[in-house]
Amino acid sequence: MQDQRERILEATYACVARYGLGKTKVEDVVREAKLSRATIYRYFPGGKDQLMSEVIAWEMTRFFVRLADAVAGAPDFSHLLEEGLVFAHRAIEEHDVLQKVLETEPERLLPQLTVATHSILRAVSAFLEPRLAAEADRLRPGMTPARAAEYLARMILSFIGQQGRWDLTDREQVRQLVRTELLAGVTRDTL
Amino acid sequence: MVVIDQVARPEETSVDAGERIVDATLRCIARWGLAKTTLDDVAREARCSRATVYRAFPGGKDSLVCSVVAVEVERLAAGLRRTLAEHAGDLEDLLVAGIVHTARWLTAHDALRFMLAHEPELILPRVAFHQMNQVLEVACAIVGPALAPHVGADGAGRAAEWVARLVFSYTLSPSDAVDVCDEDSVRVLVRDFVLPGLTHRATATR
Repeated sequence: MQDQRERILEATYACVARYGLGKTKVEDVVREAKLSRATIYRYFPGGKDQLMSEVIAWEMTRFFVRLADAVAGAPDFSHLLEEGLVFAHRAIEEHDVLQKVLETEPERLLPQLTVATHSILRAVSAFLEPRLAAEADRLRPGMTPARAAEYLARMILSFIGQQGRWDLTDREQVRQLVRTELLAGVTRDTL
Repeated sequence: MVVIDQVARPEETSVDAGERIVDATLRCIARWGLAKTTLDDVAREARCSRATVYRAFPGGKDSLVCSVVAVEVERLAAGLRRTLAEHAGDLEDLLVAGIVHTARWLTAHDALRFMLAHEPELILPRVAFHQMNQVLEVACAIVGPALAPHVGADGAGRAAEWVARLVFSYTLSPSDAVDVCDEDSVRVLVRDFVLPGLTHRATATR
């Protein structure tokens, strides 16, 4: 059942928060989920390795669902990007489990995140494309929703990873960033 | 990678030895990775004694690796500065040439390619999240001065960082739509997405 699978992933996440990716054992997940070892292995026959890679994918999905929720009320496309950048930056900075793993065992996490980058890019791009198509009359001549979506997905992921010289807690800077580096080439009337 | 003279010259300076050892290290990494590369391997590949390797890099493998990174960054920077200087007159040409030069250098780098494919756990922690900010800063230091005459000193850092983001994104996650090693493809990217943003910013701050 989906519930049990979800319960196991929640338990795994709690264990990772406590012990880290390296030290979490299947036994810890058994105890945390209050399920039998056999049940855990029925859902995750690959054992610990599978639990770790699936819990990373699971939390990543949850992150992007929260991000999609955060931008749901945006009045137009440029506000959607602004809201998205502000929210994502704060969510990453305040994500204690992520920050702890990045600090103590990045070598276990980053290869998986990098492998996932391709599908994340596609997912973010697929999220943006219909929204760009809805404002197609505002696109610059020759610009297509598909091209714009791919470019924007790459820029957004880059800024989610690191803000560099921008301060993504500063609304005015975020507005300027969206108007220049993200949308100046995409829409006609960015001002 | 630089092809170097394999025969040791007796009057060789320590700078030469250092560079030869760095190149030998890169060949070892490209062949079997960083984890398995020992100082003995490097000495054999560089055709010098283990003692020579230790004299050049007293800190052992860690300090050798630091030097390899520093030397490679400087090589990329030197080539990039030359390329940027050749195209200094026109912002579009400058951006296209700089992006293509860097993307080709990164994708042709055998040691880097081996590590990304087989030892991601050793390399990615240096180029992700907060660590990547430092890489972007290095890129700004190299590219910023070339952009300043076109976009103003204030905007040059962010402009340099912007193109660095593009280079890393398109080289680490290749795209079906943009070939970041191809000049025509990059020119379209620069014209459509980058130049409007740079001119927009310049008018906005005026």
